Amino acid sequence: MNPPLLSLLIFLPLGGAVSLWLLPARASRHVVALTLLLTLAVSAAVLLSFDPAGARFQLIERAPWIASLNVHYLLAVDGLSVLFLPATALLFLGSLVASWNLVTDAPRLHYSLLLLLQAATMGIFCALDTVLFFFFWELTLLPLYFLLGRWGVTASSGQAATRYFLIMLAAGIPLLIAFIVLATSQPILSFDLMALLATPLPHSTQTVVFLLCLLGFGVKVPLVPLHTWLPQFSLAAPGSLTALLVGLKLGVFGLIRFAIPLTPAVAQELHWLLAGLGTVTLLYGAVGILGQTNLRIALAYASICHVGLAVLGLASFTAQGVQGAVALLLSFTVATGGAFLLLEFLRQRTGSTDINALGGAAKTMPLLASGMLICGLAGVGMPGTSSFPGEFPLILAALQSHTGAGLAALFGLSIAAGGFLALYRKAFFGPVSRPEVAQAEDLRLRERVVLIALIVMIVGIGLYPAPWFDLIRPTAEAWAAGLNK
Amino acid sequence: MGALSEIFWQQQSSLPLLICLQLLPLIGAAVVFAFKERSTAVIAGKVFALAELLLCIVATSRINPTLPALQLAERFDLIAYHVAVDGLSLIFLLVAALLTFLMTLYGMSRGMISPGRLFAVLLIAEAGLVGMLITVNLAWFCVFSALELWAVFYLLRRWASSRAEIQALARFIQYQAFGWALFAGGCVVLGWGYADASGGYWSFDLFELVGAVPPGKFQTAAFYLLFYGLAVRTPLFPLHGWLPNMAQHGLIAVAPALMVGVKVGIYGMVRFVLPLTPAAVQYWQPYVVGFAMAGIFFTAALAFQQTNLRRLLAFAVVSHTSLLVIGVFSLHESGIQGAILLAANFGLAATGMWFIVGFVFRRTGTTELHELSGLFERIPFLAIAFLGFGLAIVGMPGTPGFDAAHLVLEGAIDSFGALSTVAAALGNVVAAGFLLWAFQRAFLSPHKEGRELDVDRTLPMEYVVCGIALAAMLAIGVFTEPWLRLTETASQAVAGFIR
Repeated sequence: MNPPLLSLLIFLPLGGAVSLWLLPARASRHVVALTLLLTLAVSAAVLLSFDPAGARFQLIERAPWIASLNVHYLLAVDGLSVLFLPATALLFLGSLVASWNLVTDAPRLHYSLLLLLQAATMGIFCALDTVLFFFFWELTLLPLYFLLGRWGVTASSGQAATRYFLIMLAAGIPLLIAFIVLATSQPILSFDLMALLATPLPHSTQTVVFLLCLLGFGVKVPLVPLHTWLPQFSLAAPGSLTALLVGLKLGVFGLIRFAIPLTPAVAQELHWLLAGLGTVTLLYGAVGILGQTNLRIALAYASICHVGLAVLGLASFTAQGVQGAVALLLSFTVATGGAFLLLEFLRQRTGSTDINALGGAAKTMPLLASGMLICGLAGVGMPGTSSFPGEFPLILAALQSHTGAGLAALFGLSIAAGGFLALYRKAFFGPVSRPEVAQAEDLRLRERVVLIALIVMIVGIGLYPAPWFDLIRPTAEAWAAGLNK
Repeated sequence: MGALSEIFWQQQSSLPLLICLQLLPLIGAAVVFAFKERSTAVIAGKVFALAELLLCIVATSRINPTLPALQLAERFDLIAYHVAVDGLSLIFLLVAALLTFLMTLYGMSRGMISPGRLFAVLLIAEAGLVGMLITVNLAWFCVFSALELWAVFYLLRRWASSRAEIQALARFIQYQAFGWALFAGGCVVLGWGYADASGGYWSFDLFELVGAVPPGKFQTAAFYLLFYGLAVRTPLFPLHGWLPNMAQHGLIAVAPALMVGVKVGIYGMVRFVLPLTPAAVQYWQPYVVGFAMAGIFFTAALAFQQTNLRRLLAFAVVSHTSLLVIGVFSLHESGIQGAILLAANFGLAATGMWFIVGFVFRRTGTTELHELSGLFERIPFLAIAFLGFGLAIVGMPGTPGFDAAHLVLEGAIDSFGALSTVAAALGNVVAAGFLLWAFQRAFLSPHKEGRELDVDRTLPMEYVVCGIALAAMLAIGVFTEPWLRLTETASQAVAGFIR
């Protein structure tokens, strides 16, 4: 009997959260760090015990949860989800390190919410039962609401928190209804994804489920025009929190895991809808960067642009497309998450991430500036960075399936790159005009560790992507084959 | 058509548990009353409330929830005494007993005038609630309902927290007396119908009435009287006028908890209205559901405009009660089961919120939202508990609200289609809106200048009360299975009366 690694991933952070309250408050940070390191180790163990050539779903854990509704505690990973686990663990670790000295106010509560968020996120990536998935999906709202409302950095952060919560709660309704429709369409009530995948649905049910899922996941992705919460959130939240929210591409994951495979026929019929939404989102995000003066909002738009690209790639419904999308999402987890952490360092020093309050920051903070550049280049898909191996097949797939949209995407990506470089230039180059910038000190040891880890990952994966791709490929092929059954 | 059957207590337990359940609070009230205002009165009140809770748990363990019959039945024909329970009534009984027990804890440190008398009245109210929940005789239901209303009225008159309560009290009496009279009228119509059919023999017993459902207009009249009688009590939009005033001026927590913590209105609909007037229920279903839909949003809109936390909670109750009615009137077994569980969840959660409002009021002397601020810093546990209860009302996963709301939606999809269901579910989002907004204003907003900073820290008793309620919610939320099993067959039996 193998150890229940996936359950461990979920319950380890929860255990850490409980132990915070049993130990003295000054030990909190170290307890959290230990918990996150252990989680990272467990996720690495999951990665090692995953056999890419083996069955589609592995490390399955199943126990009855609500027997009379046929709801199970059902966890498993496949090639599409397995890499998200270490990425999540790393991102949380980075977030902790980035906010190491900042949480002086009710640290135990803060850290237990952080760990709760991690547990819920791990649950989202592992759950194969739709009710369990929904449970974790909604469970993320509580810590996010609190972390933003209580530890936000602007006066309106409480409002932003409430708004985020309500929008996400409203988005949960179509999802829940889709899952109920799916469950009742089975011969016996069933929420098990593997069982649902095995039974093809009638066309009308597929249409309802696909549209409901697209709506529900679309808000989280976020697809234009459902994106309005993100810029406000990224401004009100500390960077360490935005990094988590933007870094974890839960919405697209939901599309890959549930929406498209469960409704293959309708999803492919409505390919134009998916591709269109993806393209519009991409272009909107790219153009959105141009008008911004605040780096954090610009980064939020950049992330909107990224997920648009991923959704466009998915709309090709090929193994190449989904493989590229997953690889790209993982790369953006690192790059965008990392960029938000670096911006948080910047905000702590200068009190702002607005380019008008910066200027010449590279002179006093060369390390930070170069880190931002590398993350930014990864964000625009520069060859040699981790994004390129994902972006390249993705764009190929998009060009083959939707040529016009693919061309538009290329165009949008160049706008985004231009917008990023222009902002970067204004913020980091030129004369130093502000005293805050002139007096700022460069990255400290703790921050350098984050920076080095980021660079190693971005460049390392960019130059040698093969092992990661080998993990994803078999599942991606099975995924694409499942659509055309 | 469904049919009723019963299993007598001799087959299931060595004691007639239901009569014990019925008498224990009454004896308790007598004992507490006899102690007058000695400190033993308070202790005795708590002991009796706890004993009643334990007895409810024993009764729950005795019945077999997989049988559709009403169980632990007792009959004494001379006074038409006939009681029996199933999974549905037990859920409500457990909530009633738990809430009463929490109220005895809550009332303790209040520094309130004559606590002994308060506890005695509280136990009488509990006896009224228990009586309504176990009897299967409509006349007895009316009697116990009157008893409970009297107890609440007495509580309001004697222990109201503000001087402006005269109007609230008058409103309470007007509404409740009217609702009670409607219900009693409905009972008379049914009894009369039975007498007509059986040659002059009057009966109000559910078992006998269900076999002789009155035809045509008689049934419609009975349905209307019973339904609207209960709708006042529930309270259901647009008959909710008594609640906001009572909540604002009455005794915080105790009075609202007794009136709406235990949703006897919903219970009455499931136990009596659905089986006794099935054709009328089916005919009027769209109207009832339409009103309930309107009620969700109308009262939610009113909740958004409230500046007083107590009034806001009152409108929240009316709003979510509408969702319960949608569940019941989906006339679908999942919908009914969900509504019952959701009623228990709402009762527990709303009462928990009312307790916390009471705790806040003790500290600040106000529940005006614009006068409250930054409470999170001083009483974080209560703040988190408040949010926890709010999330249970919204139906977050991990609280009992989730599975229950899920079942209601399942029933609603089956009966009304996806679109109306989405509309009903949006009601939850709106509720989340005003609850979170209230939470933010009272607890999270930055501390205002010039306000009293010196708010007492959380007291041990407050930890206990909120901790018990919160722990119960989370435990039921994660381990839903036993509760689903308890209610499943009974809900099917109720739904069976309609098809």
